[in-house]
Amino acid sequence: MNLKFIKTDLIYAVKGWLRSKGTVFWTILFPILLIMIFGAIFSESGDVSYELVLQDLDGSDESGNFTTFLDETNIFELKNIEEDVDISDYMKEEDISVGLQIPDDFQMMIQQIKFNPMAKVNLTFYHDPSDNTVSPVVRSVLSGLINNYNDMITLSPSVVGMEVKSTLGEDFDFIDFFVPGMIGFTIMTSMVYGSIERNTKLRKDGILRKLLTMPVTRSEWILSKMLFMLFLSFISTFVVIAVGMLVWGLNIQINIFFFIIVICTSFMFSGLGMIVGRFVKEEETADMAGGAITFPMMFLAGTFFPLEQMPEFLQSVAQILPLYYVNEGLRNAMIYLDMDKTLFFTGFVVTFALAFFIVGVLLQKWKED
Amino acid sequence: MDKTVQCPQCKNTLSVSGNPGEIVKVTCPSCGNNGKVTFKTLETENNSAIQVFDLRKEYGALVAVNNISFNVKKGEVFAFLGPNGAGKTTTVEMIESIRKPTSGTIHILGRDIKTQFDQVKDKIGILPQEFRSFERLTVRETLIYFSSLYQIQADIDEIIKAMDLKSEENKLYKDLSGGLKQRVGVAIALVNDPEIVFLDEPSTGLDPKARREVWEFIAGLRNKGKTVFLTTHYMEEAEYLADHIAIIHKGSIIAEGSLEELTDKYGEGSILRIKDCKNRDVINTLIEQGLEVFTEGNGDIAVKIAYKERVLEVLAILKRECVDYDSIDISRSNLEEIFLKLTGAKLREAS
Repeated sequence: MNLKFIKTDLIYAVKGWLRSKGTVFWTILFPILLIMIFGAIFSESGDVSYELVLQDLDGSDESGNFTTFLDETNIFELKNIEEDVDISDYMKEEDISVGLQIPDDFQMMIQQIKFNPMAKVNLTFYHDPSDNTVSPVVRSVLSGLINNYNDMITLSPSVVGMEVKSTLGEDFDFIDFFVPGMIGFTIMTSMVYGSIERNTKLRKDGILRKLLTMPVTRSEWILSKMLFMLFLSFISTFVVIAVGMLVWGLNIQINIFFFIIVICTSFMFSGLGMIVGRFVKEEETADMAGGAITFPMMFLAGTFFPLEQMPEFLQSVAQILPLYYVNEGLRNAMIYLDMDKTLFFTGFVVTFALAFFIVGVLLQKWKED
Repeated sequence: MDKTVQCPQCKNTLSVSGNPGEIVKVTCPSCGNNGKVTFKTLETENNSAIQVFDLRKEYGALVAVNNISFNVKKGEVFAFLGPNGAGKTTTVEMIESIRKPTSGTIHILGRDIKTQFDQVKDKIGILPQEFRSFERLTVRETLIYFSSLYQIQADIDEIIKAMDLKSEENKLYKDLSGGLKQRVGVAIALVNDPEIVFLDEPSTGLDPKARREVWEFIAGLRNKGKTVFLTTHYMEEAEYLADHIAIIHKGSIIAEGSLEELTDKYGEGSILRIKDCKNRDVINTLIEQGLEVFTEGNGDIAVKIAYKERVLEVLAILKRECVDYDSIDISRSNLEEIFLKLTGAKLREAS
């Protein structure tokens, strides 16, 4: 193993990359732009009213005052339901994605504040996580209104709080859903395009022919290129995470599965790029070939939108796309922290990675016919 | 070694195996015709850099290289001359182990590249056709990069100096002119201080000045004792640089030798031109002396000179007859004329 060459290749690949403003832009700024744009689109509130299911379990004067307070904001179209109705079922039946439940000790706890400064009462916020537009907006509006209400009644900011509950049993914002998809997508594009373009350009420029006559093995060459590709993967991944945390308050957990999935995804899509690059002779066709793979996968694999929003037959298509397993694996590992699902999806990612990378390496051809 | 032959009776193509110097009896499976196939003896001269025997390359029905053999001596510039599509690059890429021959044997520095190519990788340097290096590395970085592949490395500073790249060493490859890029390509081929340098069409696409610069560097390689295998379709390049020339046409070598040997063997000799000659009677005198004389379109008298002593004869006649003329010049047959004579087509037209 020629470690000196591998080191030189990696250093010069990074140098060359830093000297190409366009490449740096696509690697770093493109994901930033995407996450900013999508984040802004799905987080803006706007001057509209939202249907809100309201269940008052207290039925007191104080809860009545709070209901009137909400109604007078004209932000919500309130749907009051009886105490004995299951709020989650009602929301699903009526196809309403947000709801608020006032607990039966609402008035009592507000009255206690005069004697006990630590007293607190929580409203429960119900939402449908597959609705990425209404739910986060309503949640943030309600938080603001509750603060105002606290000021009004007690001059204390904390007596009334809000507990968030998902009607699907899971609790996440759109940005939480979006960021792992964004990571999978950026790794996929940089690996697929990088592999295809590298193969076609180096073949056209005669560099592959030259390497064939030099003392370097294919495994040394591919290993050094993979190290560089991993460098790119981690750069774009951490850019996406940093922007998500700084701008949109993303709350994630980085664990071993996160690293396993990022590394395997890099190998997987590099392998896919190598397989396609084997058959793409012209540099001009490389972009089209890359697009033909990445764009359908981006939309069909639940990168930007939950699969549940797509027709059923497209949901079945997603099950055969490797990016779907990357997205779900990252979401479960970083956001939902569901270890069973993380292991399940990571297993698929590792299998896809091994299959694509091995086939890609075997199909790599430096010799001419 | 393997050899592909054609049955003279039914034209069926056969693959025959044998050893150098062996005569193998063959029966055509299609028509039953019996014949013998002779495998040439491998010359094992110590001063051979490259030995090629019965090299053949087929692409389906197309025979790109048709059983060619040649020998390249150490320290010489060997020019492989032919029009585009003649089989030059296919041949050189088979020698460089980039393409697999259909049949034939190639030895580099005495080693069969079919089995021992890894042992000669350190001893050869290659400039592939239309080679372009990494755009965003400087000239110096490019040389360091390729040199890191080798155990034996030439001094990068010396290469930069020898290739006259000092003022460009910190420029990015993409910002270099075509001539400089070719020069860097040649420099890359030298990073391992190779014994044999393969240059495939090194001056194609360059302007005359840049082409002349590349020629000077190739001539410099010979002066350093390197063996240079040069493929070109420029006859001037071969005439200027080569010690030995092989002319390839439609996959076959049609002539081989030094420039002198080729012009002597296939050329029309030299032409002595008498410009603006006032005394036309001298034409009869020259013909009476057994010289071949003809008048060119512009009125110049052209005398064919079969061997150099006849030049003095012609000059003596002109002096004796007190012929009044403007000037005299002598031109020799060039490779273009030789190619025309051998193939019936001009080299440029064939390209």
